[in-house]
Amino acid sequence: MITLKGINKTYFGAVPLHVLRDINLHIDRGELVSIMGASGSGKSTLLNILGILDNYDTGEYLLDGVLIRNLSENRAAELRNRMIGFVFQSFNLISYKDALDNVALPLFYQGVSRKKRRLMAMEQLDRLGLADRARHLPGELSGGQKQRVALARALITNPSIILADEPTGALDSKTSCEVMQIFRELNADRGMTIVIVTHDPGVGEQTNRVIRIVDGRIAPDQ
Amino acid sequence: MKTGFLDLENWREIGATLMRNKTRTLLTAFGIFWGTAMLAMLIGGADGLERMLRRNFEGFASNSAVIFANRRSISYQGFNKGSGWSMTTADIDALRRIEGVDAVAATDNIDQLPIAAGRYSTTTAVQGVDQDFMKAFLPTIRSGRFINESDQRHKAKVAVLGINVANKLFPAGNAIGEFVNLQGIYYKVVGIASQEAEERINGEKIDDTVTIPLSTLAFAFNRGDDVGAAMLTALPGWSPGKLKPRIMRVLRARHPIHPDDTQALFFFDVSEQFAMVDSLFMGITLLAIFVGIGTLVAGIIGVGNIMWVIVKERTSEIGIRRAIGARPLDIVVQVMSEGIALTSIAGTAGIVFAAAVLGVADTLSGVRFQISFGTAAAIFAVFLVLGIAASIIPSLKAMKIKPIEAINDK
Ligand SMILES: Nc1ncnc2c1ncn2[C@@H]1O[C@H](COP(=O)(O)OP(=O)(O)O)[C@@H](O)[C@H]1O
Ligand SMILES: [Mg+2]
Repeated sequence: MITLKGINKTYFGAVPLHVLRDINLHIDRGELVSIMGASGSGKSTLLNILGILDNYDTGEYLLDGVLIRNLSENRAAELRNRMIGFVFQSFNLISYKDALDNVALPLFYQGVSRKKRRLMAMEQLDRLGLADRARHLPGELSGGQKQRVALARALITNPSIILADEPTGALDSKTSCEVMQIFRELNADRGMTIVIVTHDPGVGEQTNRVIRIVDGRIAPDQ
Repeated sequence: MKTGFLDLENWREIGATLMRNKTRTLLTAFGIFWGTAMLAMLIGGADGLERMLRRNFEGFASNSAVIFANRRSISYQGFNKGSGWSMTTADIDALRRIEGVDAVAATDNIDQLPIAAGRYSTTTAVQGVDQDFMKAFLPTIRSGRFINESDQRHKAKVAVLGINVANKLFPAGNAIGEFVNLQGIYYKVVGIASQEAEERINGEKIDDTVTIPLSTLAFAFNRGDDVGAAMLTALPGWSPGKLKPRIMRVLRARHPIHPDDTQALFFFDVSEQFAMVDSLFMGITLLAIFVGIGTLVAGIIGVGNIMWVIVKERTSEIGIRRAIGARPLDIVVQVMSEGIALTSIAGTAGIVFAAAVLGVADTLSGVRFQISFGTAAAIFAVFLVLGIAASIIPSLKAMKIKPIEAINDK
């Protein structure tokens, strides 16, 4: 599903920062993987490259057989929309849209009719046990509920892969467990490929494979 | 993928973003509203004022002048300063022969006389006119006809009643063909007339006057050959101003008037008035457009400003949208449609408001102040184009927002 060959990434700020160094990585379809490492080790940078939110300098990235390199903005947007589902630490829901409209939004950019996308969004919310919260604004939801809405939004386009950056970072341990449970079910029941960035060992333990990053390099498996 | 400009979601979002800061939106909208209303009201106001002024001259041939004999201002050939003289029908014939003169309408007036028809009676002004009257002054014929050359030649006892006189004497209508009694002489009613203009040559408005042939009037009232006033129209290519020296020369040859006496003939050049009104209102209209567009542009700059602020505020939201699949064009469409929605709603409200105000001006003045549909459409087009222009820079800024900013912004 994901193949990285010799990926390098440098942030050219006042002091150039070589964040990712010669990353080689393969993730198969249906894997549940966590990327762990200290803060500032380059986990988010790696995930952003995987999610086509950011570019890399050298190397090769293949997503589901598609070479991700020098894509036009439109093509990148389309790939993000159809192949990738994002979950962020801070949920990144649109505050003035209710849960249903937030979940339906990716389908809006696919040109799906309003009626159909609301139907699909309702279905998705229902699966995550949020049917009764469909008309609530994000501000009226708990952290766990917000993250489940974000998950529903990530899932609605039926993507090839879910990318989650510290999805439990803003949640208490109990809701963290609930959210991780959902990730595990999605992986086990629907064969979803999932990559979770975290610095929480408890989260890492619940995934099937842990990739460790130290100073921008992948640490050899223990 | 389609851009979703017409998608209901797009419009719901526009509503939601604009409503999130109501005060700010309202203030911006007011800028557009006021600019559009100003532009529309100034244009309508200028046109209405022009119509009001022109109404005074309506029914006058524009290339014409009103003349009548005045007191001498310089003593001459035994006639003292301040002494009067009269124009005669022979003078009128002489004036008609001047090159460049189209028509000379001679008139004479008699103030308030009793007039009767059947059991109804009233008092009325009486004017005598000749066949040229219709060329210089364009009365509105309500029914029947006006005095013609044959009436004048035969001193026919026919009369054209002013509409107000007709209503008093023939309350049931059907005046045409009936007779009216004026000082013991019966005149057959051949027409009913009124006038649009507020201005009158001399005497009353035609509405309150009984018009008979000038020759009949001279005979019936022992007026001899005297003519009260004349309205002279120039041929195309000529103007009353150009003809004035020739007219003076002809009249001086026929009457003892000092060569330097410019006061002895009253000469009112209608064409000059028209020209003055023309240039005055050309100026006023230009000023109105200038001021109106200026106000509108100020409002539009406000829109550009607000769109810019909205885009800055929503950097992270736009980033999220890009992350979940919005193309740059989707973002441009979203920002542009917000700007366009704001300008069209506020601008339309401005036009509607101006139309209401101008409508009230219509009723109060009896003159059309209302802007035409074409003008309204043009104003609509102007503020729409300006609104689009104002949204371009903010929407390009929004388009450049990278999805990564959504995450980094936190
Ligand atoms: N846009 C950026 N410009 C410059 N430096 C950045 C940028 N994003 C991240 N960095 C730096 O790169 C390093 C790795 O960041 P990140 O990938 O966010 O680490 P992690 O997610 O593992 O905490 C950090 O030192 C961070 O300060
Ligand atoms: Mg991070």
